[in-house]
Amino acid sequence: MKRSTKSSKPALERGIVSAYERRQTGTRISVGAINVFLFLFLMLACLGPMYLLIKFAITPTQDIIRTPLAMFPNGVEWSNLSRAWTEVRVSRYFMNTILIASGSWFFQLLVATTGGYVLSVLRPKYASILNALVICTLFVPSVVLLVPLYLTILNPPVINTSLVNTVWAVWLPAGASAFNVVIVTRFFDSLPREIFEAARVDGAGPFTLFWRVVLPMSKPILGVVSVFAFIAAWKDFLWPMLVLKDPMIQPLSVRLPAIQAQTELGVFLAALAISTAVPVVFFLVFQKLFLSGAGLGGALKG
Amino acid sequence: MKTYIKGLAVVGALSLAVSFAACSPANNDDPGDSGKLNLTVVGLLPGSTEEAYARLAEQVADFEKSNPDIKVTTVDYEWKATTFAADLAGGTLPDVFEIPFTDGKTLIANNQIANVNDLLAEFPYKGAFNEGVLQYGKGSDGQVYAIPAKSIYGVGLHYNRDLFTQAGLDPDQPPATWDEVRTAAKAISDATGVAGFCQMAQSNTGGWQITVDTYARGGRMETVDADGKATATLDNDATKASLEFLKELRWTDNSMGANFTYDWGSINQAFAAGQCGMYTSGQDVYVNLVDANGMSPDIYGLAMVPLEGADSGVLGGGTLAAISVNADDATKAAAVKWISYFYLGRYVDQAGAVAYTEIAVANGTPVGVPELPIFSDAALKDYQTWIEPYINVPVDQMTPFTSQIGSAKLVNEPPVSTQDVYAALDPVVQAVLTDQNADIDALLAEANVAAQREIDRAQS
Amino acid sequence: MKRSEQPVRDAATVSQTRLPERFKLWFRKGGLSALLFALPIIVVFGGFSWWPILRAMVMAFQDTNLIGDATWVGLDNFRWVLTDPDFPKALRNTGYFALLALIIGFPIPLIGAVLMSEVKKLRGLFSVLAYLPVVIPPVVSVLLWKFFYDGARTGVFNTLLGHIGLGPFPWLNDKHWAMPSLVLAATWAGAGATVIIYLAALISVPAELYEAAELDGAGIWRKIWHVTLPKLRGVLFITLILQIIATAQVFLEPYLFTGGGPNKATLTILLMIYNYAFGASLGADYGPATALSLMLAVFLAIFSLIYFRLTRGWSQ
Repeated sequence: MKRSTKSSKPALERGIVSAYERRQTGTRISVGAINVFLFLFLMLACLGPMYLLIKFAITPTQDIIRTPLAMFPNGVEWSNLSRAWTEVRVSRYFMNTILIASGSWFFQLLVATTGGYVLSVLRPKYASILNALVICTLFVPSVVLLVPLYLTILNPPVINTSLVNTVWAVWLPAGASAFNVVIVTRFFDSLPREIFEAARVDGAGPFTLFWRVVLPMSKPILGVVSVFAFIAAWKDFLWPMLVLKDPMIQPLSVRLPAIQAQTELGVFLAALAISTAVPVVFFLVFQKLFLSGAGLGGALKG
Repeated sequence: MKTYIKGLAVVGALSLAVSFAACSPANNDDPGDSGKLNLTVVGLLPGSTEEAYARLAEQVADFEKSNPDIKVTTVDYEWKATTFAADLAGGTLPDVFEIPFTDGKTLIANNQIANVNDLLAEFPYKGAFNEGVLQYGKGSDGQVYAIPAKSIYGVGLHYNRDLFTQAGLDPDQPPATWDEVRTAAKAISDATGVAGFCQMAQSNTGGWQITVDTYARGGRMETVDADGKATATLDNDATKASLEFLKELRWTDNSMGANFTYDWGSINQAFAAGQCGMYTSGQDVYVNLVDANGMSPDIYGLAMVPLEGADSGVLGGGTLAAISVNADDATKAAAVKWISYFYLGRYVDQAGAVAYTEIAVANGTPVGVPELPIFSDAALKDYQTWIEPYINVPVDQMTPFTSQIGSAKLVNEPPVSTQDVYAALDPVVQAVLTDQNADIDALLAEANVAAQREIDRAQS
Repeated sequence: MKRSEQPVRDAATVSQTRLPERFKLWFRKGGLSALLFALPIIVVFGGFSWWPILRAMVMAFQDTNLIGDATWVGLDNFRWVLTDPDFPKALRNTGYFALLALIIGFPIPLIGAVLMSEVKKLRGLFSVLAYLPVVIPPVVSVLLWKFFYDGARTGVFNTLLGHIGLGPFPWLNDKHWAMPSLVLAATWAGAGATVIIYLAALISVPAELYEAAELDGAGIWRKIWHVTLPKLRGVLFITLILQIIATAQVFLEPYLFTGGGPNKATLTILLMIYNYAFGASLGADYGPATALSLMLAVFLAIFSLIYFRLTRGWSQ
């Protein structure tokens, strides 16, 4: 992976504007101006709202209402943050969010890797049927599933006890992501078969092959799937709102709109700021993975 | 081969976890004390204080002592119009649950709550409820399905005394006619820049409040003929007059501010933050204003919704206690005992009143907010004397309401497809508040058709 | 399964004697382990994808509120939806949202990505900035923007725009303003992801193509028009259809921003489905809700099919 990007780097060094054109004063000035403009635009459009959110999170409520853009005319209200964390119980909903996101991540990875392994490497007779059935669901928009999936959660086949108000109601449907299965299967397909054969000759069974050979070779794709699984679970709103009725197990995304009318504006905006901080930090730490994943997602869709 | 077996075990265990572990959380119907009947009931709002939970536990223990064959489990519960249907269908409601007056008829017609007619005599005062409120829990067959339990309210006009003073108005002389409301709203808006009068417009509250305004001018949203067949009358003159009134305030006086997306919660928030001079809502919102929105009690004033014209009245509502339709006879009997004890006990004797009130005080909830009688007026008077030492609300600031509500006519909400009627009216209110050229007649005609469509389906 | 016919019984007895043998063989060839590996995907997809899809097909033709027994009602649910006076409004609004999202949300990321691909040193920083709004939970960004959209003169946007002599604007409080306000917020929250996809495609355009164009005397604009955009075509077509499919199912923004108001100006198809099934009406109209879902799905399927037919020729 790394080596290939390096070797192709010379090709990346140039874009639409050639080195010759760059040397021309007019082009250089306009390219420079465009860059500066682009930078200012991105700062304003992308960072601006977040800057305001952070500012509001520590501004007294009355100041936010009366003079939203004034710089702390009556001082800073740090207690907004602590009140959001304890009184509004953002701490609790935060833990719920992490629990839900982790479980969803685990089931998406479990289903995608074992499924991909069956479809790509083990290939039993029924693999083609299974593959077709999974691909089919890729073309069913999620809206079709909303009501029947909800009713399935109320009364699941075989188990027959309602999963409403349990985290399973979010975890298990999250696992049924055809997109994950497809990209993982495609990645497994691209792994060299000779390595599998060599491992088999060395006496590796299907489990050793899976655990010791296939998974370690698939770290890049697993990273991408993981990041997106986690973020998607963090963002999800409609589904957890439907199946997690008990406020004590609801994630932030469901809880925030519900508490809005009962929470002082400053404290509420502080709660929003806290909910934003985690994914943003997560993103800044894993930005390479995010950005390459986002680009890859586009490439795979194409 | 060893790793093979080991791996087999791991994957097998994981796969089984997927299919079987799913059952475990729901399967907690642990009989525990065998022979005892397990009754699940609505407890406190989620996020109540530790002390309130402790008090509730005391009440449960007290109840279980006098009813040793019943084991009560309380469930945190928060009623929401937009999720209740799903809760009901999902079977996530406790055996005893709370519903607003508006939903009684529909749930009864849908066969979704249990008939308690035969058990009526088991309730306090032998079930001699105030007929005006009991009728919300009656089906079209005249049988009783749900019991008036708490928060019996009439809609009042809430006003900000502080803003009244700032606008040069006398806070002890709240407006008594709609014209005076308009003048006061204009004065507040001109003097302070905040909205003089606010109106709910979303999540069916727009329809609810325009119905309040309609009743106050003597109109009705539905007529029911002798056979019980309902006809929508959303395009009546009183509703038109109410909408014209809003139109004048909004577009001629510009005294309603700039936000028209209020619902029950957000209008309370705006009022508590001093952004609304006046608005109409249930008389009991004081609790929410102080409790959840930190309003200073000093600024609060409560008056009557102005009543004008023949047949005008105050829209009333409240909370019913209902029992799951799936409950067996034993559970039903236990549920009746719990409802009598928990919701109605405070009206029966002093001990019950004090126990209930202490929970409210412990939870930091205001005590002494005006109530309407569930049983007789005399019973309510007794109750009010019992709780007098605990009253912590500014009763004086509510006298413009409390001195008159007793003699006012209370009018029920539209009996058939209530929420659908409100849903049809929401957009009309929104249109009048957001579109200067809104054609009130055309909008109401359209809303009337939509409401009638739902009514016909409910009655077919 | 009783096997009474003569030839079949022979086969049965043969397989019976050999069953343990065959099982052993199947086991040794990894049949059991393959099945175990397949179990998660079969259980999870079976329970939470295939089964609900089948159920949707059935439920659209039933009247059910989960309390009583479901009854077959033929096409009644479809009729109920199609005669609902809200249906044409929701259809129009959803189309309008999709169109606005296309007008606002399609060129901005494209122009942004083309410009960013020319940035040399700080491209990483630019990418991070552009992608930042995407990682904010959508609920948070909607609630934040709802606060920004305060219609009063002291609202955040109105104060900002007041500095340059504009406004105050009603934002969510006007039927003409509400939908563009929703789209603007949605674009802010989503454009970054599209930028990164385009950027990845732009960077992979081979340098030789530009060099060849330069040999033909092409300037910057002609290179963009004749080399860059044609190379992006495949990605553009795909993101376009994905965006249309996504906007046809828009829910979060109208639900949280306006609840479908004012006067149904932002009522979308999905909001209608939600209102049927879970909304304030106590009927819990699951039948009409699934019927409408199915109609939307079929429409999207046909639309995508036509779209791919039409674009197949151009996207190579």
